[in-house]
Amino acid sequence: MKTIILFFIFVSTVFGAQYSIIISKKAAVSALSADQIRDIYLQKRHSVGDQKIIPLNLVGQDPSRIAFENAVIGMGRDRLNAYWVKQHFQGNSPPITQPSHESIKAFVQNVEGSIGYVPSSMADASVKVIYEF
Amino acid sequence: MYLRLLSLFSLLLLSIGHADDYELGHGVHVNDYLNVGGYFSSEFESNSQSDTFTLDDVAVMAYGDINPMFSYLAEFEAVGFYHRNLTDGTEDGSQKFHAERFYGDLWMSDDFNIRFGKMITPIGYWNMEPINVLRDTTSSPLYSMLLFPKFLTGIDINGYVPKTEGMRYHLFGQNNRDLDEEYINIPNTHFFGFSLEKELSMEWNTGGSVGEYITKTNQRTRFIEANLKYDDTQWQIMTEALIAKSDYNDIQDDYALAGYAQAMYRYTPEHALIGRYEYYNDHHTEYKDNIAILGYSYRPLYPISIKGEYQWHSQHDENRALFSLSVLF
Repeated sequence: MKTIILFFIFVSTVFGAQYSIIISKKAAVSALSADQIRDIYLQKRHSVGDQKIIPLNLVGQDPSRIAFENAVIGMGRDRLNAYWVKQHFQGNSPPITQPSHESIKAFVQNVEGSIGYVPSSMADASVKVIYEF
Repeated sequence: MYLRLLSLFSLLLLSIGHADDYELGHGVHVNDYLNVGGYFSSEFESNSQSDTFTLDDVAVMAYGDINPMFSYLAEFEAVGFYHRNLTDGTEDGSQKFHAERFYGDLWMSDDFNIRFGKMITPIGYWNMEPINVLRDTTSSPLYSMLLFPKFLTGIDINGYVPKTEGMRYHLFGQNNRDLDEEYINIPNTHFFGFSLEKELSMEWNTGGSVGEYITKTNQRTRFIEANLKYDDTQWQIMTEALIAKSDYNDIQDDYALAGYAQAMYRYTPEHALIGRYEYYNDHHTEYKDNIAILGYSYRPLYPISIKGEYQWHSQHDENRALFSLSVLF
């Protein structure tokens, strides 16, 4: 696990951030820490200040999702699966999923407080970047 | 009641069969208002008196978000659904379903959430994950079953402690009888407590609780509990201790002290070896035991748990072997 995380940190450092976490321009949030993003995606926290946050995941096993889970959430697929099985018993569901990066971006543009990861090349002036990895 | 719940269970199985994106252990997501799930466990026990087979838990649950601020959870369970003594051939069981959990959550902010109804008492590690399939051994430490009420029918105000990093609190209280008194380990009329838990890092967390309850037989008990856990992808080490002081109808005070330390080594995501030492000493009943447990856990998929363990007790006639199969839908 540490090797994978170090690998992503190395790649990000040498080649620049591959992915950006974006939020609507209207949202009163300008940056989030990795810990805050992790807590939001694990549904432990649901807001930042007064801003309610809706996390979005990409469906399936896309490389960006795997990179996000390893580099930001800090949990591999097995551990995350165990976590969500336990959360199912507690009555908590994982973040909603979107079929593509384009739909994540469109969702973020239209729903205030939603956040999601897209390739950094897609993060234009229509959205706000709050974290890069 | 029984037929209705059996119908619900059938509906759950039918839903699972027809859900395209169903993943075992994650429930069926019907819509934002309704997710359904369920679980069962079966156990085989061999001790010095008998060998027994029990279909122990059969449960259905539903939960969902009514709106961004209000959510609910309902769970009904039949305990000891079917029991067969393999030594003398007798059979019994109860197919009566009980309200295990039935509550609503009113989310005001991450720092202030109100849960009301019947819920699991927010104390310690084992009580929060009480079902067989989520545990790493078939048995639970005695402290989690004998020294405080497992359920609360009342109110729990909870959330993150403001201005702290990863520290959560629960302030809970009950001033009435349980919603389903047939289905609680300690029937009580008053129960109040406070819990704190702190996430120290991805791997470490710690916490503690204090509380007081009055049983239906007017026994007042006060307790204090502390816990510590380390958990990475391979190792999990956890320990808890609880001391309780009971006032038996103003005649006599007595103490009970219990605790355990457990280590688990996952040598693959599916296979794990578990060792636990437990201490239990109730001065009032003069029941004292030291228990060593060696267990093995196999999860072909995480929501399918196959476990075996052997328990050595200082009360020698209580040595036993336990095996179980449990599944979460």
